[in-house]
Amino acid sequence: MRHTARWAALAVGVVVAGLAVVLALRVSDAERQTRPRSELLGDPAPEFTVTTMDGEEVTGDSLRGRTVIVNFWNSWCTPCKQEEPALKRFYERHRDEADFVLLGIVRDDSPKAARKAVQERGIEWPMGIDPGDKAALDFGTRGQPETYAITPDGLIAGVQYGPASIADLDTMLAAARGQS
Amino acid sequence: MRAALGVLSIAVGTSAAVLGIATLGLGLRRHDDQLLRNGRRYVFVVLGAAVVAVLVMEWALLTHDYSIEYVAENNARSTPLLFTITGLWAALEGSILLWALVLGGYLVFMARRFRDRATDPLVAWATVTGLAVALFFFVLMLGPANPFKTLAEAPADGAGPNPLLQNHPLMAFHPPMLYLGYVGFTVPFAFAIAALVTGRFGEGWLADTRRATLVAWGFLTAGILLGAWWSYEVLGWGGYWAWDPVENASLLPWLTGTAFIHSVIVQERRGMLRVWNLSLVIATFCLTILGTFLTRSGVVDSVHSFTQSAIGPMLLGFLGLVAAVGIGLIAWRGDRLRAPGRLDSPVSRESAFLANNLLFAALAFVVLLGTVYPLLAEALQGRRLSVGEPYFDRMTTPVGLGLLFLMAAAPALPWRATSGDVLRRRLLVPAWAGAIVMAAAVVLGARELAQVLTFGLGAFALAGIARQFWLGGRAHGPIRAVRSNPRLYGGLVVHVGVVLIAVALASSSSYSTKREVRLREGESATVRGYTVTYLDSSVDRSDQKTTVATRVRVERGGDDLGVYAPAISTFPNSTQGIGTPSVRTGLREDVYLTLVSSPNERGRITLGVAVNPLVLWLWIGGGVMALGTLIALVPSLRRRQQGLPSADATRELRESGERPEGQAPGIPAPERVRPRVKA
Amino acid sequence: MTRRLAPWIVLAAVVVATLAVVVWPDGGDASPSARTRALAEEFRCPECEGLSVADSSAPTARAMRADIRERVAAGDSDAEIRQVMVDRFGESVLLKPEGEGIGLVVWGLPVVALVLGAGGLGFALWRWRHQPTVHATDADEALVERART
Repeated sequence: MRHTARWAALAVGVVVAGLAVVLALRVSDAERQTRPRSELLGDPAPEFTVTTMDGEEVTGDSLRGRTVIVNFWNSWCTPCKQEEPALKRFYERHRDEADFVLLGIVRDDSPKAARKAVQERGIEWPMGIDPGDKAALDFGTRGQPETYAITPDGLIAGVQYGPASIADLDTMLAAARGQS
Repeated sequence: MRAALGVLSIAVGTSAAVLGIATLGLGLRRHDDQLLRNGRRYVFVVLGAAVVAVLVMEWALLTHDYSIEYVAENNARSTPLLFTITGLWAALEGSILLWALVLGGYLVFMARRFRDRATDPLVAWATVTGLAVALFFFVLMLGPANPFKTLAEAPADGAGPNPLLQNHPLMAFHPPMLYLGYVGFTVPFAFAIAALVTGRFGEGWLADTRRATLVAWGFLTAGILLGAWWSYEVLGWGGYWAWDPVENASLLPWLTGTAFIHSVIVQERRGMLRVWNLSLVIATFCLTILGTFLTRSGVVDSVHSFTQSAIGPMLLGFLGLVAAVGIGLIAWRGDRLRAPGRLDSPVSRESAFLANNLLFAALAFVVLLGTVYPLLAEALQGRRLSVGEPYFDRMTTPVGLGLLFLMAAAPALPWRATSGDVLRRRLLVPAWAGAIVMAAAVVLGARELAQVLTFGLGAFALAGIARQFWLGGRAHGPIRAVRSNPRLYGGLVVHVGVVLIAVALASSSSYSTKREVRLREGESATVRGYTVTYLDSSVDRSDQKTTVATRVRVERGGDDLGVYAPAISTFPNSTQGIGTPSVRTGLREDVYLTLVSSPNERGRITLGVAVNPLVLWLWIGGGVMALGTLIALVPSLRRRQQGLPSADATRELRESGERPEGQAPGIPAPERVRPRVKA
Repeated sequence: MTRRLAPWIVLAAVVVATLAVVVWPDGGDASPSARTRALAEEFRCPECEGLSVADSSAPTARAMRADIRERVAAGDSDAEIRQVMVDRFGESVLLKPEGEGIGLVVWGLPVVALVLGAGGLGFALWRWRHQPTVHATDADEALVERART
């Protein structure tokens, strides 16, 4: 074949150019990479069973018919401490509404430390212990804090990774109520 | 003031690079020898500028000058001295500075080595190319990666380096070694470009850069192995290679570089594979830039993603430029390069080297594809995928075994052609060694195909190497033999190291045991014959970190093997706990202890106990490879004698299958230039 | 001829026998713990940087291992367990890309490339063996002279 080197070089050049384009696209879209996506959006929320600090057993089923905000939390994570004021204000704002539930679930923590933190920091909404991090696994959590909004029908309407502002929480609640 | 000095030296370096390129360019254009001689002097200025900048940065680090942003981000008052010094390469901007320094060093080495040929266009073009690369890195430092950027308000204390980077003294060695390797490939690259541009694509440029290539390769090998060691001893997940994108990025140029080291031998002896070799070395250089890009641009998720920055696009642009220039030059000149050489037989050492290159190219392709595949999938289909160990292991193992086989068989293959008889005679004993070891392994219980094959091929290879040494040393003793052909024997020693590493890889990947045990103080557990007893724990609080350390006694068969201290440290500026493993290293196996969770309210710890066989041999193999590289760098006795080899030496070599090296460097062997004439 | 080949024939027999022992299906490695471990090695721990669920000690990895163990004991197939994990965490939890669709590229392309490369090499070798010898022309001689000086 004549000019083998030229053809080979051309072929390699095309492949390299393609690779460069792909990399360039990826570099320019740096924002997108860091934002995780939840696979569960729009899907039925997984069944879970947790026991709150008051000894009450709460299951996903028992919460059907109400809009539920589930917040995965623990006592030592810094972003959890950061979002605490927002969560507290959010809870105050909505706690008297009949269809509203804010449920905290402890993730990756000892029950004793979690209990202590709840008492010391004045967390008033129900906080569930999740033995074996099973609920955390079923929800597909990768860390904490993570917040999930569940509609009365049991579908996941919104997900927030990382600390949530009160605006984020209100948005999620609205999504769970079907108002956007 | 320091910042200004630093920026000034970078500016000086940049100007020197520009002036050097301009002067040399002009000198080449006008065939003006004086300009060429002057132009090369700028290389020394570039190195000087880099040295000054590095010294200024170290000075700033050591005096905790937090008016400089880089120091504020990578150093704290409580940072220990060693990690203050290594803070130079703790993050992006400093790494670029280190790169510039190493590059300056290599360029000066090039200038001094070829000072007698300063007016040779080949050398001049190589210097221009080298200066152009240096220019790029200096411009990076003037712009987006400025290490001397100042802060309007200097904070009282700095953030300190990432906790993972102040855990272990290896931080002092792994990055610099890696850079000495990466940057070293700039030298053969520069000469390859020069060869293409000047049209002097005979074997001259190969001979000129042979040593530099070997040195760069040696450092890269050491850097990669040190990284593996760090992963094992420091990171605590119990393994040494995770096929992490950045790890792969360092492996890619190593793969093409190793292929290159082998195929240049074919070009030296037969004048073939010129285009291929030029492509290989250009590809290797491009891969080092790609590696830096992948590590620093944040495009892939990795353990190494310490910083992300705006230099991603610039690195990508530079990579594109280099690739375009290289491919363009080859397309332009490529067909004129083709030598009328050919292989006489598929069963010859040349063919073995060609097969070697094919397999290394396949490996590089697999690693590259696996690494960029998630990016491709996301760009083309918006899907987020991962490619991890199962893929890489499955794809690379067969190729690796093929390479092991070639490594075993090739030294016995003569050049040009051979008869079945010769081959059978040479390979019989080594092949039997391999078969016996394989059978023994199976008898002793080994049942994994890849592992059994590794043991067998490894024994095959070692036996063959032993045979070579024995043959070579028979006439005049081993030292004389090695000194008469250091390349061959150095290479064989490197191969011994490779076998050790292959066997260690095979063993530790299949036969490791890992368990987690929950222990209270005084309690013991037994894993694979080792009894671990949790003695006690202590908490050490300091300004830099809080460490919970436990003491665990390890015993086996009644023998006390010592007390080890796996620990977890937390740093004030981050919530993540960094585990420090404690390893009892043994010749046969390691006992690897990690503290999975510190004592809970009931005083119980979760201790990870792993027993990993033969891991020590990975590091020993690495040392052997380094030794072999050093041997290969020794100047050949015969070269120095400047004449034809003695009759004895010739006979020796002929018996061991080697062709006598009868030529002084630089002059091609007559057979390559004379076309084949029908007798 | 056979006499010279005899040791090689015996050698080949030994090697084949050894390999046969190794490769022979011994029927019993689908034990639950082996399956759990094998599956755990296929999943990426979502909390860590690229570690597999088998290697990681992060809480998510632990929970995943327990989950896999439960499901294996309950009789779920490998494919079902993979699907559950993908449903929770997305495709990026799989360390081994699926073999269909674009996955074909990452599994198949290297093999194709290797085969093509080997084929090219073989072809080149064949061509070299059958290449006619050339005679030196004057231009060639001139080239030699220039190179020699």
